[in-house]
Amino acid sequence: MKRFEWKIFGLLILLMFIGIISIYTASSTKIEGDFLFANYFIKQFIWIIISMFILSLLLKTPIAIIDISIIPIYIITMLLLILVLFLPEIKGSHRWISLNLINFQPSELAKLFTIMVISKLISKPFLSDGQILLRSFIVTLIPVALILLEPDLGTASIFFVILFSILIVSDLPKFYLILIISPILSIIFSFSFWIFIVYVLLLIYILYRSNLNKVIIGFVVSINTFIFFITPIFWNGLKDYQQNRILTFINPMRDPFGTGYQIIQSKIAIGSGGIFGKGFLMGTQKNMNFLPEHHTDFIFSVIGEEFGFFGCVFILLIYFLFLYKIAKSIIKIKRKEYRYVSVGILAYITFQIFINIGMNLGIVPTTGIPLPFISYGGSNLLINVTAIGFILKYLNERSIFA
Amino acid sequence: MYKKITISDYAGYVIAFIFFILLFFVFKLQVIESGKFKNIAEKNIVRIQTIYPTRGEIYDRKYRPIALNKPSYNLYITPGKIVNKEKVSGFVSKHFDKEIDEIKKIIYENRYRSYQDILLIQNIQFEKMVKTSEQFNYYPSLLFKAEKVRGYYFANIFTGYTGRITEEEYRTLRKKGYSINSNIGKTGLEKYYENILRGKNGQQILQVDASGNNLEFFKHNLQIAPQNGDDLILTIDNDLQEYVSSIFPKNKKGSIVVMNIKTGGILAYVSKPDFDPNLFTGGISAKHWNELITNPNKPMLDRIIHGTYPPGSVYKPIMASLGLEEKVIDSKTKLAKCDGGMWFGNRYFKCWLKTGHGSMAVENAIKYSCDVFFYDLSTRFSLEQINRYTKQNYLSTRTGIDLPGERRGFFPSRKWYIDNYGKYVGILGHKVNLAIGQGEVLVTPLQICAYYSAIGNDGIWRRPHLLDKRIEAEQTFKNYVEQKHLPMSEETLRLIQNSLYATVNERYGTGTAASVSGVKVSGKTGSAENHMGEKTHSWFSGYAKCDKFEIGFDVFVENGGHGGSVSAPIARKLINYYYGIIK
Repeated sequence: MKRFEWKIFGLLILLMFIGIISIYTASSTKIEGDFLFANYFIKQFIWIIISMFILSLLLKTPIAIIDISIIPIYIITMLLLILVLFLPEIKGSHRWISLNLINFQPSELAKLFTIMVISKLISKPFLSDGQILLRSFIVTLIPVALILLEPDLGTASIFFVILFSILIVSDLPKFYLILIISPILSIIFSFSFWIFIVYVLLLIYILYRSNLNKVIIGFVVSINTFIFFITPIFWNGLKDYQQNRILTFINPMRDPFGTGYQIIQSKIAIGSGGIFGKGFLMGTQKNMNFLPEHHTDFIFSVIGEEFGFFGCVFILLIYFLFLYKIAKSIIKIKRKEYRYVSVGILAYITFQIFINIGMNLGIVPTTGIPLPFISYGGSNLLINVTAIGFILKYLNERSIFA
Repeated sequence: MYKKITISDYAGYVIAFIFFILLFFVFKLQVIESGKFKNIAEKNIVRIQTIYPTRGEIYDRKYRPIALNKPSYNLYITPGKIVNKEKVSGFVSKHFDKEIDEIKKIIYENRYRSYQDILLIQNIQFEKMVKTSEQFNYYPSLLFKAEKVRGYYFANIFTGYTGRITEEEYRTLRKKGYSINSNIGKTGLEKYYENILRGKNGQQILQVDASGNNLEFFKHNLQIAPQNGDDLILTIDNDLQEYVSSIFPKNKKGSIVVMNIKTGGILAYVSKPDFDPNLFTGGISAKHWNELITNPNKPMLDRIIHGTYPPGSVYKPIMASLGLEEKVIDSKTKLAKCDGGMWFGNRYFKCWLKTGHGSMAVENAIKYSCDVFFYDLSTRFSLEQINRYTKQNYLSTRTGIDLPGERRGFFPSRKWYIDNYGKYVGILGHKVNLAIGQGEVLVTPLQICAYYSAIGNDGIWRRPHLLDKRIEAEQTFKNYVEQKHLPMSEETLRLIQNSLYATVNERYGTGTAASVSGVKVSGKTGSAENHMGEKTHSWFSGYAKCDKFEIGFDVFVENGGHGGSVSAPIARKLINYYYGIIK
């Protein structure tokens, strides 16, 4: 265990400990001067123990066994994603497989193993650019399509962050990334003709400056123009409630009685915390139960209310150190596949933290993505710890492949 | 070498950038704008408020009111603001005629709802409100709200009443949007049509601070209007209802139902004694409640559907049509000679007429209500045959009226006798008795009314109902009511109809006291012996037709005496009255 990254592991433990304390206060209610506690923090503690057990198991497993089991697990996960569509709805969508003890989301598992399979398939030697693109897209789009059917727009979007982050560190020439991003931008800009024109001109300029051949430039521009025309047709084909759902996703304030109200309450909670906070267990907004998901999605608002600006800075600092340590250690991983996996996991954890805290601060849309290592939730914690476990594992094993 | 460094460094830059953004917004919220948010949080300004819908109202068939919402001043208490529980309970008890223990109980049950206003007293007089509110300085937990409560226009049994939701009901109904202060239908139509009458909650976001400034978190869609409950238009005719209620013999128990035989719509629905549902508005006082439930005459019992009684002779037409349908008899078949009774084995069964009716065919047997004819007829059928045919005529089965808790009535079967008497013996005696509507058979007055109406409607049985249509947001929806056929041929039907006509309109018929000139009245009397009292239950049920209306009716007086002399004259009065007012 000489090469074990104790600092990363230590910060992970610290984050989970903060999680327990936060869940403890977030799930308490003050009634007539007495506090009532839900037993979520005990459950979370048990989940931490389980996660640690899985983590040590992972570190002990020979890496060859892990390598050969990745693709089978990916296939099983895809089957679970199909299965979940046929299960009864929970809270309005088909996301959960409900077992007796836990509600498990196959999409959690899908994120991790999509990262691993993309990395595996595109790190093989002598691949053409086309092959890399094709492989990575197929592996990503299967789970994305299935998760969109659930429907879970927020989780589906994470897959693109994952894909993009891996491709950016891969051997793929960077202009392909323009190819990936430009259609997405086209969809967004297609709502305004003039912005779209400016955007296309800019695109042509960038492609031209990259010394690309004219056929490719023509191809990219025509694809984007095609998207410009097809988007309004597709949009108008959607039902009212589908349009509303997407618009509300982009701008939660459109739905003042649902997500908009939650964001406002979250902002009030955090803002009223001030510099020093209201003190442990003393959050008034929390105690009045204005927010539905205290101990899961909106746990950051409870931290902000009770521990104030100093508390928030402390949490952000721990997260930053944790992620920064991982980022810095990635170059120590020499094998391409493992490095891609580590980058994918790093991007995915960072993105989740950003989206969740951003949602609590009211700067990004609400998506139902929990705060990694801190929010209550067994399967989410397990997957996140396992993901970090893979990075620790690769760092551990680096000598073998150095 | 250069490339390898960039991966980690690049990732580090991105992470640093992301955390800088988050840090910036945390700083903005918690340091720069903190004062504003602290103020909002303290004053609890931004919150979602539920707007409760107005309950639908109930009208008669001519849109005259039966149950309306009337303005009311209600007293609320906020448990979190109580200074002295004893004092405030005492104050409320003293001024608003409510037991101090009841008030304490409400406060205790709601002790965890610190910031909610809990309804204490409804329907407070204006003068009282003005007078007491002067002292509210001492009791910051109390407040008045101007709201609406239910008001009923007359005492009756079918509207039922609304009452405060109980703790237990609230636990299951809160998901449907009920609040702890909700009034919900407890009995009668108020309960049966609760979902329709209630409507749907609306919502509103409050975001105005103490000085009235809009905080502008949201610019649009600040209110979802509540959907008010549907109004119910009943088939009841208020004039007839009121009249029928007034002619029921004083100090007697029983019921009168009148329905339109073409539609099954109920025109009058009177069960006596009845009670004033207004007593329940705003919570019934312990005194009134005790009076109602300890009253031996059971005023809260809806005798029309919750009471089951032996039908006596009003059951006879069913026996007769069974005989005719099964071709055991025809219109001319004469059965055993009645000389005041008949021997079966070692038991003698008396006819009500001691001198005897002689030997006669079915039409006269109904007209004179001769018991012996039906004793003899019953011996030609098995018990199961009679049981089945009774059910096919929609007796001993629920009619499906739109009121909660309707009872089924009863007709014994072979299995029932074995279960209750151990052996299937002596059945002949039971069967003979059942044939004249005595013994174990039990019916509700509504079942009898529906049966006679169906005879009057040429064999088409309509489900009795009170709701004619409901009005939802100015759109009218008609209540669909299915129809069924009585199991009898055209020929049998005519014969029964003729017998019932003869009963009222021919000399010596048992129901002549119900005849009305200008109206074709048909009916059957019944005087059912029972264990409840000395006198027989008095029945008269049938139908009346003229060019203006076709109605079926059932008049039932518990221990009233003879059907022909007690119930038939009441039927005559109501037909006469209806003939007079219908234009």
